[in-house]
Amino acid sequence: MSDVLKGRAWVFSDDVDTDLIYHNKYLAETDPKKMPQYSFEYYPGKENFAREVKPGDFIVAGKNFGCGSSREHAVYCLKEAGVPAILAETCSRIYYRNAINNGYPVLFVKGLSEAIKAGKIGDGDDLEVDISTGSIKDATNGATFHGDAVSDLERDIMSAGGLIPYLKSRKKDVR
Amino acid sequence: MGKTMIMKIMERAAHKEVHTGERVWCDIDWSTARDFGGANCTLQFDEITENKGKVWNPERIAFTFDLQAPSHSEKVSNNQKIIREFARRQGIKHVFDINRGIGQHVLLEHGHVLPGDVILGTDSHMNLLGAVGAFATGVGNTDIAASWLNGTNWFRVPDTMKIEVTGEFPCGVSMRDFLTLLVGDLGAGGLDFLAVEFTGDAIDRATLAERITLCSMVTEMSGKIGLILPSGAVLDWLAERAGPEARVRAGAIKPDPDAVYIETRKYDVSRLEPMASCPDAPDNVKPVREIAGTRVDQVHIGSCTNGRFEDIAAAYEVLERGGFKVSPDVRTIITPATTEVMKKCAERGMIEKFLDAGIVFTNPTCSLCTAEHYGALPSGDVGCSTTNRNFIGKVGKGSHTYLLSPMTAMATAVRGVITDPRDIVC
Amino acid sequence: MMGRTFAEKALGRAVGHPVNANEVVTVEPDFCMSHDNTGPISRTFKKIGVKKVWKPERLVVILDHGVPAPSSDHAVNHKEAREFMQNQGAPHFYDVSSSGGVCHQKFPEEGFALPGQIVIGSDSHTCTYGAFGTFATGIGRTEMAAAWATGNIWFKVPESMKVTAKGRLGKGVSAKDFILKVMGDVKSDGADYMSVEFHGDGIESMSVASRMTLCNLGIEMGAKNAVCKPDQKVLDFIRGREKSSGWEVLWADPDADYVKEYSYDLGEITPGVAKPHTVDNYAPIAEVAGTAINQAFIGTCTNGRLEDLRAAAEILKGRKVAVRTIIIPASWNIYREAMHDGTLDALLDAGCIVCNAGCGPCLGAHMGTLAPGEVCVSTANRNFKGRMGDKESFIYLASPRTVAMSAVTGKISDPREAF
Repeated sequence: MSDVLKGRAWVFSDDVDTDLIYHNKYLAETDPKKMPQYSFEYYPGKENFAREVKPGDFIVAGKNFGCGSSREHAVYCLKEAGVPAILAETCSRIYYRNAINNGYPVLFVKGLSEAIKAGKIGDGDDLEVDISTGSIKDATNGATFHGDAVSDLERDIMSAGGLIPYLKSRKKDVR
Repeated sequence: MGKTMIMKIMERAAHKEVHTGERVWCDIDWSTARDFGGANCTLQFDEITENKGKVWNPERIAFTFDLQAPSHSEKVSNNQKIIREFARRQGIKHVFDINRGIGQHVLLEHGHVLPGDVILGTDSHMNLLGAVGAFATGVGNTDIAASWLNGTNWFRVPDTMKIEVTGEFPCGVSMRDFLTLLVGDLGAGGLDFLAVEFTGDAIDRATLAERITLCSMVTEMSGKIGLILPSGAVLDWLAERAGPEARVRAGAIKPDPDAVYIETRKYDVSRLEPMASCPDAPDNVKPVREIAGTRVDQVHIGSCTNGRFEDIAAAYEVLERGGFKVSPDVRTIITPATTEVMKKCAERGMIEKFLDAGIVFTNPTCSLCTAEHYGALPSGDVGCSTTNRNFIGKVGKGSHTYLLSPMTAMATAVRGVITDPRDIVC
Repeated sequence: MMGRTFAEKALGRAVGHPVNANEVVTVEPDFCMSHDNTGPISRTFKKIGVKKVWKPERLVVILDHGVPAPSSDHAVNHKEAREFMQNQGAPHFYDVSSSGGVCHQKFPEEGFALPGQIVIGSDSHTCTYGAFGTFATGIGRTEMAAAWATGNIWFKVPESMKVTAKGRLGKGVSAKDFILKVMGDVKSDGADYMSVEFHGDGIESMSVASRMTLCNLGIEMGAKNAVCKPDQKVLDFIRGREKSSGWEVLWADPDADYVKEYSYDLGEITPGVAKPHTVDNYAPIAEVAGTAINQAFIGTCTNGRLEDLRAAAEILKGRKVAVRTIIIPASWNIYREAMHDGTLDALLDAGCIVCNAGCGPCLGAHMGTLAPGEVCVSTANRNFKGRMGDKESFIYLASPRTVAMSAVTGKISDPREAF
């Protein structure tokens, strides 16, 4: 399978915490479909994200994306907005779990933090991303990156579509 | 090859030998949720089981209300209601309603936590239960709902870093200051996916409150769990609450002498000074003396990190030495972690002295730490807090927060500007 | 010549010549009270184009509706109030601190509620100060901004209604039960624009705190103000705390003219409630006993005083609450006193949650907002649809004793069963 996805980049720094992605003010929300409207409201310079993001756009971030709270809202708000994947150098562990458990792709991209700081990838750049091979191309300036898709059990959970469908399909194996 | 504490915990829960890096399915001892995330869990559980599912074990599920206790929005009120009704329907008895306090602390005080337990919760600071040797971790609603199906969940067996802490804290310096130093050293992502074992004579001497402070902030370095082997007075306290099994279980998670650590770090706290996390990140760390004199609008003492009796008592001592008066230019708010803590403060006559000094003393809850409650800040205000996060705009758009020890926070409240507590107490 | 009512005397004193009901007068207020809405008022004030408040020492600002701020929006309002008072050099500002509380409790505690004086407040329950013989009335924000600018406010001298109470309340029966019954009889518009006067030995026998409960609910009958005779109990209360010397004990003449009169024997009053969703939807307790509740709330400017907390503790001591029970002392002074005499301890032991002083969930801002379908029995003053949260929630107004007894059983209960 070689599905190349095309979309614009929304670029973020290192250590983007969950309050920046989805602020505690809106924690009472229980319907994932209503969560995108609050995405990045508190991120300086990205207050327009919720209004302007288009299905197919990518999140591009440095190290430790999603640090902080356990709120799954921070995954739903992007998934439901139609962001097909998160490209980050690293991802905080609870955020990582929440993404995997929802079958939501996170590509770990070595060197991305430095590339962002050096301006090698910028807001609005047109990206071509192959989720299956991990190949990432910035069509605006020609830079290329490689992202590692998840492996081991996480890959199985991803391909099942998330933790719940995985458990339902593998009831026998899981005590 | 020897095993670390987390490996021993996971081996008990997975009923098999485990190796670092491996994914294992662990039995869950407690799967808990709060009024934050709790309704998301119950709604998801009902959805995936088409409203017909029974939870795997109602005795092993607990709900704690602390995000907004009491609730300050209709949505949260409704979420709390959804949880109460789910609990009733499923026969879940352990519902700690709005009159109890911060979840992990309440579970601990009620003797529900044993060393070696595997505990899930919708709170990224669940891992403070590592202070009594439990593996507790914050997760999203899917993880909780999934665990209610059959009482298990998956984990990656983490590598462990050992942090050895020695020496006596000098006057005016506390565990919180050491922790702040550590967060500055390791950075926000410094412990990503790692477990930590805290050892050394400073840890052996540490009270339960100090151990909780230390373990709670492992989250702020993206760590999986910070573990301390229960010992001495802490183990006695635990055995008193949770029963004699606590001693057996503590013995079973002792790391092997030849356990392998990915790294060992050593710290001597005997020359440490008061430290602060400056706006807008926990790892933006400076000594307090470098920011002394900074004007502040509000001081808040509380939270799962520093809301126990010992924390409030440490602040009380600074207030006493400072003349029992806080600056009229600063709004000072104290929030005890639990009702038990509040009652102890009342019995000692401390609440009255706090009120006389001009301080607002609230009911036990997460207060402004979680959702703007009790002391949200307007744009442009500067806050000081003993909580664990000072992310951009967390307690109000355009505001900024310094994270301090309870002693430094109270010294700041007394003087109205950020103040090294040694100027008052030493 | 016909005698004069309290309202005629108080407003006549303010304008310097005798006045009669239905005349229009312009008076200078002795104090102007506002709370968290001070920020919005100050914005209107600035639009008027006047720089300085006519007399800054006459402004009294007490933050209470959302303290400490439950949201950054509240926090911004507080900041605006703080800065306005500072810029105006206005000394009477009660910020978020342990010297605060609900404005209608703090205002008298601080000695601003004085016999014969004129007080306006940008809160409808300003009429509470009638318990001290003050002519006190709630006004809107725009009018408050105008009063700050000009030092004047106009009133039509109200007609008066006389409520007479004889005898004593029985055991387990409270002043709240009496006033709920009166509200049921008079109805929510029965005292529209009027001055309500409480007369009789039954009122004299009540504490000042109980009289505050009566006057507080004047607005729920549509009244402009409500008032009790300022007797020795009131004089003892204000001694040493008065913030102004220009006060005078005034009371209606025995032959004053009233448009309506009601008489009660307090001995015949039983515990009662106001059922959802109107304050005059009165029912004796027997009629609603057994109604399941989800939450119990004791507090507010109506019933958050020490005698209220003690009455609740008397019932709750040695018992456990069956539903979540929220206790909010009306001021930090009350909180302290309740801590001293063991009241708070008894409430905590019973499983109540004791919150910091303030308005709490009364107006649905925080500390116990209701979810859809939930039922709350409350000592507050309004049970309008959605007042405490979701519009599909239900509020029963009752006395602190009834709320306490209901908290124990989990359903609306007669407090007399406790004794």
